[in-house]
Amino acid sequence: MSNRYISRHISFLVTVFSLALFSFTTVSAQDGEALFKNNCSSCHAVKEKLVGPALKGMSQRRPEDWLIKWIKNSQAVVKSGDEYAVKIFNENNKVAMPAFGLKDEEIKAIIAYVKAEEQKPDAGAPVTTPGAPVAQQEPQPIWLYLLIAAVILYILSSVLGRVQRTLSQTVRHKEGQPEPARMTRWESSLHWIRNNKKLVAVILIFLTLYGSVKGWYSLMSIGISQGYTPDQPIAYSHKLHAGDMQIQCVYCHSGAEKGKTAGIPSANVCMNCHKFVKKGPLTGTAEIAKIYKALDYDPDKGTYGPNPKPIQWVRVHNLPDLAYFNHAQHVTVGKVACQTCHGPVQDSMTVAGQYSPLTMGWCITCHRTTKVKMEGNAYYNDFHKQLLSKYGADSLLTVESIGGLECARCHY
Amino acid sequence: MSKKYWKGVEELRNDAEFVRLKNNEFFEQLPLDQVIEKKAQDVNTTPRRDFLKFLGFSVAAASLAACEAPVRKTIPYLIRPDQITPGIANWYASSYFDGYDYCSVIVKTREGRPIKLEGNTLSSVTKGGVNARVQAAILSLYDSARFKTPMVNGKASKWPEVDNDINGKLSAIAAKGGQIRILSSTVISPSTKKAIADFSAKYPTTKHVVYDSVSVSAMRQANLESFGVNTIPTYNFDKANVIVSLDADFLVNWISPVEHARQYAETRKINGGKKSMSRHIQFETALSVTGSNADLRIPVKPSQQGAVAANLYNAIAAGTGASAVSAPSVDAEVSKKIAAIAAELLANKGKSLVVSGINNPAVQNLVNGINSLLENYGTTIDLDNANNLRQGSDTDLSAFLDEVTKGGVAAVLFYNCNPVYTLPNGSAFAAAMKKMELTVSFSDRPDETTSVCQYICPDHHALESWSDAEPRTGVYSIGQPTISPLFATRQAQESLLTWAGTPANFHDYMAAYWNANIFSKASGSWNKVLQDGVFELPAATPKNYKTAANLNAAADAIGKTNAGGFEMVLYEKVGLGNGQQANNPWLQELPDPISKITWDNYLAVSPKDAREKGWKQGNVVTVKAGNVSVKAPVVIQPGQAFGTASLAIGYGRTVAGKVADNRGVNAYPFTSFSGANLSRVVSGVDIQKTADEDYMLAATQTHHTMMGRAIVKETTLAEWVKNPAAGNAEELLSVKVGKHEEVKKKAGDMNLWADFDSGNHHWGMSIDLNSCIGCGACVVACTAENNVSVVGKDEVNRSREMHWIRIDRYYSSDADPKEGESGDIKKMEDPSDMPRVVFQPVMCQHCAHAPCETVCPVIATSHSSEGLNQMTYNRCVGTRYCANNCPYKVRRFNWFQYSDNAQFDFNMNDDLGKMVLNPDVVVRSRGVMEKCSMCVQRLQDGKLTAKKEGRKLVDGEVKTACAQSCPTHAITFGDFNNPESELNKMWDPEGRSYHLLGELNVQPNVYYQTKVRNAEERKEA
Repeated sequence: MSNRYISRHISFLVTVFSLALFSFTTVSAQDGEALFKNNCSSCHAVKEKLVGPALKGMSQRRPEDWLIKWIKNSQAVVKSGDEYAVKIFNENNKVAMPAFGLKDEEIKAIIAYVKAEEQKPDAGAPVTTPGAPVAQQEPQPIWLYLLIAAVILYILSSVLGRVQRTLSQTVRHKEGQPEPARMTRWESSLHWIRNNKKLVAVILIFLTLYGSVKGWYSLMSIGISQGYTPDQPIAYSHKLHAGDMQIQCVYCHSGAEKGKTAGIPSANVCMNCHKFVKKGPLTGTAEIAKIYKALDYDPDKGTYGPNPKPIQWVRVHNLPDLAYFNHAQHVTVGKVACQTCHGPVQDSMTVAGQYSPLTMGWCITCHRTTKVKMEGNAYYNDFHKQLLSKYGADSLLTVESIGGLECARCHY
Repeated sequence: MSKKYWKGVEELRNDAEFVRLKNNEFFEQLPLDQVIEKKAQDVNTTPRRDFLKFLGFSVAAASLAACEAPVRKTIPYLIRPDQITPGIANWYASSYFDGYDYCSVIVKTREGRPIKLEGNTLSSVTKGGVNARVQAAILSLYDSARFKTPMVNGKASKWPEVDNDINGKLSAIAAKGGQIRILSSTVISPSTKKAIADFSAKYPTTKHVVYDSVSVSAMRQANLESFGVNTIPTYNFDKANVIVSLDADFLVNWISPVEHARQYAETRKINGGKKSMSRHIQFETALSVTGSNADLRIPVKPSQQGAVAANLYNAIAAGTGASAVSAPSVDAEVSKKIAAIAAELLANKGKSLVVSGINNPAVQNLVNGINSLLENYGTTIDLDNANNLRQGSDTDLSAFLDEVTKGGVAAVLFYNCNPVYTLPNGSAFAAAMKKMELTVSFSDRPDETTSVCQYICPDHHALESWSDAEPRTGVYSIGQPTISPLFATRQAQESLLTWAGTPANFHDYMAAYWNANIFSKASGSWNKVLQDGVFELPAATPKNYKTAANLNAAADAIGKTNAGGFEMVLYEKVGLGNGQQANNPWLQELPDPISKITWDNYLAVSPKDAREKGWKQGNVVTVKAGNVSVKAPVVIQPGQAFGTASLAIGYGRTVAGKVADNRGVNAYPFTSFSGANLSRVVSGVDIQKTADEDYMLAATQTHHTMMGRAIVKETTLAEWVKNPAAGNAEELLSVKVGKHEEVKKKAGDMNLWADFDSGNHHWGMSIDLNSCIGCGACVVACTAENNVSVVGKDEVNRSREMHWIRIDRYYSSDADPKEGESGDIKKMEDPSDMPRVVFQPVMCQHCAHAPCETVCPVIATSHSSEGLNQMTYNRCVGTRYCANNCPYKVRRFNWFQYSDNAQFDFNMNDDLGKMVLNPDVVVRSRGVMEKCSMCVQRLQDGKLTAKKEGRKLVDGEVKTACAQSCPTHAITFGDFNNPESELNKMWDPEGRSYHLLGELNVQPNVYYQTKVRNAEERKEA
C-alpha cells in the first residue's frame, strides 16, 4: 500500500466523520433556553409575573417530580386535589396552564435553565449561561445511520478489494503469468464498462426513465403550491375554532356566500367573541393580544385607542390573475362544501394551508364529474328541461354539460 | 476483350497518387479544418448553435429561478364597513359637474375606489345618458398631476398656514376697500352659491363673475331682450318634428348635449308601430357630429349664418303674415332651400324647433323671432323651466377684464376656471394677475392659471366631494363622495367658508341648506335623495311667449357684419371639449368622430380649397388673424364650407400634465369680443403654407368611403315606409350548377359548418344605425370597463390602437355606383366635397361560424354555448392569424406591454392611474390578441346574481358597457333565447335588420338596423 493511497482514504474518512459529528451536535443541541422560549415564555418569565407566576425559586418551592407532573398536565394535578396545585390555580385567576407534551429530560432542562437564570443579576453584565444538561434521547435521523453504514461498507469493500487484488496477484505470480499492464482508474472503468455492456445499458435506461419521470413531475409542480402553509402573524388555529368550537366557516369568511372572495375576516369579527374570550386554550393571551394590539384595544378598560394597525396575514391561496374564481357561485349556487377544496380544515389545520393543487386540471376534473344543482333554482328551470330532453331524463348533468369547461367562464 | 476506358492519363499510368485518390469520393478534402480553425480564432463570434444552446439554458435557468412564488400579504379591514363585501361592487348615486359637462351618475366602487361612472336613469335631465367626457372623468380622479397639498408661490404648504396667509391678506384688502372677485365658470350648486354669498357677506367688496369658456351669453342677452328673462330655456327636441340648427352642435357639445341626444334619438327611432321620424336640417360651417346626422346639411360660411337666420325669418314671416326684416342676400341655392325649409317649419307649427349656436345676440334674437312665429314656446322650447348649465355673462367678464386692466382688482379667487388659457388674451391677463395683491386658485390640478397664482387651495375632485346641482330649475341632484380624498385637498366651499369666518363641514352645510330651502318646497328626505341622487320638483307648465325684441335692429346688425377673406370657426371636439380634461389619456386617444384623428387638433379645410391652394393633408400652415398666429397641420375635411377653416379649442395646453402638454395648438387666442360677447368666429384669416416638414397626424381610420359596398345599409323614410326592407337587399352569391348554369343563392343557405347547440343563453346585440350619433361614449365606456390600454399617438399611427369598439365613419362618394352598376374603383376612394356621413359602431361580431376560431393554432379563441367568441389570453401565442382572418378587423394585438412600461407613460404606468382598473378583467400583456368579450364579466355577474336569488334573468338586467352608456340607446344587448327580449323583438331580417358583411355567412350575433334618413332624395351633393 502506497502512502498516497492511505492518506487519500484517511482524508476521506476524516471528512465523513467530521460531517457526522457536526450534524450530531447541531441536531441534538437542544437546551433549556430554547425549550423555555418556545413553550413557556408567552405566559411566564423567570423574575416577574406575566400571565402565570414568576418561576424564580420554583425548584425550591416544589420537588422536581411534582413540577414534571404539573407541566405535563396541570389540570390533572389540580383535579387530583393537590393542595398546592389548587392554590396556584386559584391564585392565578383560574387560568388553566395548557398541557405540554414534553419529555422528562426536556422539562429538567427547562428547570435547569430557570435555575441558571435566577442567579443572573437583574440587569447589566451578561452572564454566560452554564449549559444546561443536554438531553441525548432525541431519535437520530435515519440518514445518519445510512451514512455510518455507507462508511463501513466503503471500508469493507476497499479492504476486500485490496485482498482480492493481492490474492490474484499472488496466483498470477505462482503460475508465472505475466503481470497485466497497469491501468489507470479511468481505463479500468472503461474496461469494466466494455465487459458489462448489457448491465450498463439497463442501468442507463433505468436512470434515464427515472430522471425523466422525476424531471416531469418537478416541472409540473412549478407554480403549484399545494401544501403551502406559511407562518402567520397570529397563530390562529382553524382546528380550534372550526373544529373544537364548531364555528361555521362562513361566520368569519362571510364573503364566500356573497361574492368572489371568501375574505379574511376583519378584526371586528374576531372581537365578536374575543371581547369576552380573552384567553385561549392553546396560547393563552399571547395571540389574542395581537388582535387587541391591531385594533389598539384595551381589554381591561374595553376601549379602542387611536392607533389601530391592520394585521398583515400571509395569503395562502394565490390564484393567478388570469383565472376568475367566484366563491358565491360554488358555495351558494353549487352548494359545494368548503372542505371539498379546502380540506379537513376543522380536523387537522392548526395553521391554514393550501389543501388542493388549484391547477386548471383539478378544476376541470371537478367540473367534469360534479352534478349541477339545478333543482329548486328557478334560474335553471327551462334550461334543465331542455337538457333533460336532450341528454335523457336520467342523465348526469355535470357542470361540463352546461358549458362549465368553456374558456370564458373563468378567463376574461 | 472488352474495351477499357480511362478517365485520364493518370489512370492509364496507374500513378500512386491516383490510386490513393481513386476511392475518395471528393477529389479534394473539404476545407473543414480551415473553417474550424477560423472559428477557434474568432472567439468573439458565437456560432448559431452555441447561441441557441445558451439561449435554451438561460431560458430554463430563468424560468426555474422564477419558480419561487413571492409571499403575498393580504390585509383585511380592521373594522369592515358593513356595506362593503370585498369583491362586490357598491353603487352610489352622485352628480358630476365641472363647469362644462353635467351628468347625474351612479358610481361603481370596488373596495372603496370608484372605477366607473354610469348614467342615472332617475334623472329627468340626462335620463341615464353619460357622454364620453364625463365617463372619462373617473380617470381624471386618478391623475398623478393633481395637487397633493395646498401651494404657496409654487411651494407645498399646509392648510393652517395657507388659511392664515389668505385671511390676513383678505382682511388687509377689505380694510382698504380693495375689490375682491370670485371668477368662476357656471355654478349650478345652490349650496355653493350660498357659500359664495356667505363669503361675500364677510367681504362686501366681493363680486362673483361667471363666465363660460364656450359662451352662450348672447342667448341669455337675446332672451332678456325678447322675453325679459335672463335664462337659457330647456329644449324639448323630442317634441319637434322639424329641427333646424344654425351651427349648434347640440348632440355632443351645445349646452346640455346628453339631454339633447336622448331627446333627439327619441324622434329618430322607427319601428313597425312608429313610422315617422323627425326631419333635421343643419346649417353649419365645419362638419360637426350633429351635422353628420342631419337629413339635410347645408354648409354656409360663418358670416352667412346671420343672413340665413334673417332669410329664414322672412320666409316664415311671409307664411304667417308677420312683417319682414331687412335680410342680407344669400346664395341662390341656399335661398331656395330656405324657402323649402320654411314651408316644412310652417307645416309643423308648435312642433318644430330652430336653434343656433352662434354667440351673437342679433342672430339669437332672430332665432327667437322664428320660434315665436312658429309658436314653439311652450312646446319644444320651455322658458319656464330654465336650463342652468350655462350662466356665464360675457358682459360681466368684459367689465371684469376692464377692471383688471385698470388695476382696480386687488384679489381674485379662481373657481373651476382657467382664464389664462381660455381668455382671448390670456397672457395679458396672466401679466395683470401678477400685479394683484392676492390670487387664489381652487383648481385641483395644475393649469395655466395656477402657474401664475400665489395660492393654490386645491379642491377635491367631484368624486371626492359633497355637492348639489340644479341643472334645470326645480330639478336637483346631489353629489356624494365615493372615495376619501386621495391628497391633502379641501373642498373649495369649505375653503370659502373658512375664510368667511364660519368654517363648516360642507356635508352638514349642504344638508342644512337643503332642509331650509329645498325640502321646504316639497317634502323629501335626505337619505332618499342620497339613494336616488336626484330630487325633482314638479315642473312648471311652459307657456307660450312672443318675442318683444326689435328684430329690425337685429337684422340691421347682421347686415353690418362684414366678413372678408378666409373665415375660421373655433369648435369643440367630442373628446377634449373645452380642454379642461386635456390631461386625460382616454379622451386624447378617443378618435374624433369625424376626422378619426387622435391626440391632436388641426386646421380643417375643404377639399376644394385644398386643391386650389395646393395644401396637402399634414402640411403645416401658419394661421394668422389679427395679431394671433399659430402653426397647425392641415386636414382636408369633406363637408367643410368652402372658403372656411375650422380649428378645435381644448388643445395646446402648456401646464396640464405629461399627457396634455404641448399637444396641438391653443385656439382660444383667436376668440374675440364682438360687441359684448365672445365670438368663436374669425374672419380675414391668413393661411400660409410653411416650409416645415409635414406633421404626422394619427388617425384610426384612413379609408373614407364604403367603396360601393353596402357596409352601412341606408334608405330614406319614404322608401322604408313603402318597403320595410328598403336598402336591405341581401347579397346573393352566384353558384355553379352543372357545367355552365349559374344560380343566385343566399349565403345563409350554404352552410359550411355544423351549427352550435345553444346553452341557457344566447347573447346578442343590436345596433340601430338610425339612433347612433357617433358620439364615442361607448368607446370610453368600453375602455373603462375592460381595462383597454392607451397606446399613444405613435402607435395609433401604426394602426395599433387597442379600442375594442370603434365607430366607423363613412363618407359618400360622388363615384358611388347605383344598384346594379359597378363603379370606378379609384374614384370611389374619394369622398364627395359635401358628403353624406354615416356612423357604424363595430366591435367583435361574435360570429357563430367565426373565421378567427378555425385558424388559431392553439385554440386560444373558441366559441361558447352562449354565443360568445371567447378569447383566452393566456393560451394565446400571438400568431395573429385570427386578426388576419377576421373580416371585421376587430381584433387587437398587444404589440407591447402597455402597463408598467415607461414607454407608454399613461395611466397604467403609475400606481394612482392603475386604481381605475376593473379588478374583474385581466390586464393583458405583450404578445397576445384581445378583442371585445361582450363584457363577459358583466354577463357572468348578472347570471350569478340571478342564480343566487333563484330566479330567471330578466331582459335588460345585464348590459354591456357600450349598451349601458349609449345616450341614444342605439345599442341593445340581450338574449336571443329569451322570447321576451327586446333583442328578439327587434330582429327583423324582412325589415331593417342585417348582418354586417352578411354575404360571408359567418353568422354574427351582432346585427345592425338599416339607417333611415328623412330625406327626399338618396343623394345630396
